[in-house]
Amino acid sequence: MPIEFKRNRAVFHDVVSVEEAEGLLEWLQKKPSAKVDLASCSHLHTANLQVLMTARPHISSWPEIPELRAWLETSLNPKVHPS
Amino acid sequence: MNPLLEQFLSESREFSQGIGEKLMQLEDAPTDQGLINELFRLVHTLKGNSGLFTFPEMTRVLHAGEDLLGLVRNGQIAYSRELADRLLDAMDFVMAMCADIEATEQIDASRAQDSARMAASLKALMPTAPIAAQVPAVKPPRIPSALPAELPPLAEVPESTRMQALRQCHQGETLHWICYLPVKDCFFQGDDPLFSARQTPGLLWGSARPSEPLPPLAELDTYRCMLEFHLLTTAPLEELNEHFRYVPDQVEIVRVDPKWLSLTEERPEESSADIAQAGPVIAHGDAGEGNPLFASQKEAAEPIDESSRERAAALDAILSAQQQILMLDDRPDWGAGRLKAVGAVLLNIARAAGVQETASELEAVLAECLATGQNSLLLLWLEDSKQHLIANYVTQAGPPASTPSKPDAKPSNRPAEAAAAEAGTDKPPAAEEGIKFGRRAEDSVTGSRILKVDQAKIDRLMNLIGELVVSKNALPYLAQRAEAHFGVRELSREIKGEYSVINRIADEMQDAIMQVRMMAVSFVFQRFPRLVRDISRKLGKEVQLVLEGEQTEADKNIIESLADPLIHIVRNSLDHGLETPEVRRACGKRETGTLTIRAAQEADRVVIEITDDGKGIDPAIIKRKAYEKGLIDEAALERIDDREAVNLIFAAGLSTAEVISDLSGRGVGMDVVRSAVEKINGTVVIESELGKGTKIRISLPLSMAVTQVMIVESDGQLFGVPMDNVVETVRVPRSSLRAIKQSLTAVLRGRIVPLKPLNALLGISATPRTNSDDELAVLLVQAGGEVLGLLVDGFKETIGLIQKPLGGFLSGLSAYSGSALMGDGSVLMILNIREIV
Repeated sequence: MPIEFKRNRAVFHDVVSVEEAEGLLEWLQKKPSAKVDLASCSHLHTANLQVLMTARPHISSWPEIPELRAWLETSLNPKVHPS
Repeated sequence: MNPLLEQFLSESREFSQGIGEKLMQLEDAPTDQGLINELFRLVHTLKGNSGLFTFPEMTRVLHAGEDLLGLVRNGQIAYSRELADRLLDAMDFVMAMCADIEATEQIDASRAQDSARMAASLKALMPTAPIAAQVPAVKPPRIPSALPAELPPLAEVPESTRMQALRQCHQGETLHWICYLPVKDCFFQGDDPLFSARQTPGLLWGSARPSEPLPPLAELDTYRCMLEFHLLTTAPLEELNEHFRYVPDQVEIVRVDPKWLSLTEERPEESSADIAQAGPVIAHGDAGEGNPLFASQKEAAEPIDESSRERAAALDAILSAQQQILMLDDRPDWGAGRLKAVGAVLLNIARAAGVQETASELEAVLAECLATGQNSLLLLWLEDSKQHLIANYVTQAGPPASTPSKPDAKPSNRPAEAAAAEAGTDKPPAAEEGIKFGRRAEDSVTGSRILKVDQAKIDRLMNLIGELVVSKNALPYLAQRAEAHFGVRELSREIKGEYSVINRIADEMQDAIMQVRMMAVSFVFQRFPRLVRDISRKLGKEVQLVLEGEQTEADKNIIESLADPLIHIVRNSLDHGLETPEVRRACGKRETGTLTIRAAQEADRVVIEITDDGKGIDPAIIKRKAYEKGLIDEAALERIDDREAVNLIFAAGLSTAEVISDLSGRGVGMDVVRSAVEKINGTVVIESELGKGTKIRISLPLSMAVTQVMIVESDGQLFGVPMDNVVETVRVPRSSLRAIKQSLTAVLRGRIVPLKPLNALLGISATPRTNSDDELAVLLVQAGGEVLGLLVDGFKETIGLIQKPLGGFLSGLSAYSGSALMGDGSVLMILNIREIV
């Protein structure tokens, strides 16, 4: 499973495809206080990013790939985007 | 170029021409429905064809054309001259792209923008553009370097990245800002904008941001893309166009002027006077004034507003550094290189100062210095021209007169060496243009390591090497003749020496060509997973397929002829060998049966084993069936052991299955396998244990090109016997022969071996000769699992030769498997042992 849903934490693995976005959205809608672990994620489809940007869950760990981490930090970090 | 592409090009040309003609005809008869239909069909076909290849630029234009013509056909819009003009333009564009493809097999990336524009202009003719609704209006590409109406929001970019960008700018790279706004339904088209964005060449920084206010979480539509991407990259424009060639209408690429990087949110006009403050913003505490890196960044950031005094000082520092270098009086090996470097720096300065005559003068001086190895001339020239250069540089590249120079600007006091070093590294491309001592681009071209060669060429090479092998065998005969006939022993020895050299080379060539023809068995194995899955599904069996040693290699012909026998065997194993899950469970086995196909190389043979853990073969049933079918007689029924009995399944016409299925059971399977394997000089053996499983072992030669043959003599003629058949050669005293009924036998190594005179088998009336000790030469051969002795007159050497199949009338002679040319020019017939005994 590209996304492993634990009790209050979603763990992303490898490449998370567009098919996961729907499930992720539903899960995050149910658990507003959920955390997301991106450490072993190597890529996530734009649809998933969009869900994360809308839901703004707490990111418990960022991707280990520095390039992806930079992308996600700038995209998910509200400091950069006051909007 | 591949044939498909060639065909596409010739068809496209035809179609474009046809479209042009039809458009012309329509001018005269604008309402002719037939013509319009024809036109639509042509464009539609052309579009479909272009879609076969990755030519999105062409497909996009044709698609727009097709849409437009579709509307014309349905009478929604009328044919007009303007429409014809645009379509003709579009066809010209398509032809231009065809020319691109013909030249380079791809469309130049720069066409993407034109294509988008062309498609937009066609769509503009449609009253209600069906596609345009989703596509944002196509913006014309920005003219690089012109100030855009709105500056890219560079402030988003973190400071450290901006610094890095500046540094790269300074090294001659161009910066581009990309705003990528994917269409809303791009997810449905299989696009992943984030992935495209991450793959952007030369990416320095990127971020995704909502292109519209994001809805509350509860109302979010996951399948609608609401993000846009901002990217900062150092890749050249062509590369970016190439990268975004599928979505040229969704990206906007703006060339970033390095000085914008320091401006952050301010407009350049407003802030030009305060530029001095921008410098420290970038430096932000870590770079002191003495830091050359900072100084150079500052120079890059403020190319226009630097005061002339500061510019003069900087140039002076650079020139002084060159002087210092020239004044060094050591004479290192790399002195010439250093001189060239200094020359390159000075040339660049002269060009920057815009003094062309000084530059040409400098080139002459430099050439002389290089010729004599003396720096003094250049040093003198530099001292003379220094002030001239500085003066020109300041006025030439200085700020416009309207800009007030800053009185409080601090003069740069960076170390001269650092400045010189930078000046040297700054403009390497320019330096190479000036003096051609850099490496040329062609030097670094590396081609593909793989060659694709027609098999016929390899076969020809192999035949030639085969002939070489044969003709080299003539040398020993020659040596023999030199000694025996002409009595020159010395020459004979020399010929033998030469022969050994040629022999070695020929062997290596043969080996090399064999390597070329080698192919991995995975070529055959790769079809099995699917085959096994389909058949086992059909039979309701659970089978796990294990493939091993797929990398084992053998000659291409061997591998190819292996495919059919293997499929037969696998089918048989699945049908007869492995049981259904219920039966397996009842036997106490795992429900899932295992079928293993293993390939391995053993000496000069490839061994393939097909093992299943099914029910095995019952030798008793086989024996009975074979007896019923008349394949064996009663005596054999008693005599043969289980092992031999199991191998009877290779006999023609034997089937053990009670029911004939569409998979197997017709009794043709296994004997076909055997003959196919034997055709390529292979052997096949079966081992089976009742209830445990079956193992079929196929052994094949690695290559069938060269056959090892033993030459025997009989009635004054020579014959070849393949070494695969030869067991041993023995001499048997005539006295120890025994006659049982009509046949001769002898006891050899404790076994009774039937003996047959080769002469009798071949219909030669002569009787076998004996040697002086009254012994007969017996060649023990193995044929179909049986060993028997051939009585011949004498044994000769063993040689490797290329067998040629018998042609014409001779092809009907089954006693011979082929013929071969000997070194002395004679023809050797190769016996087909299995047929004659």
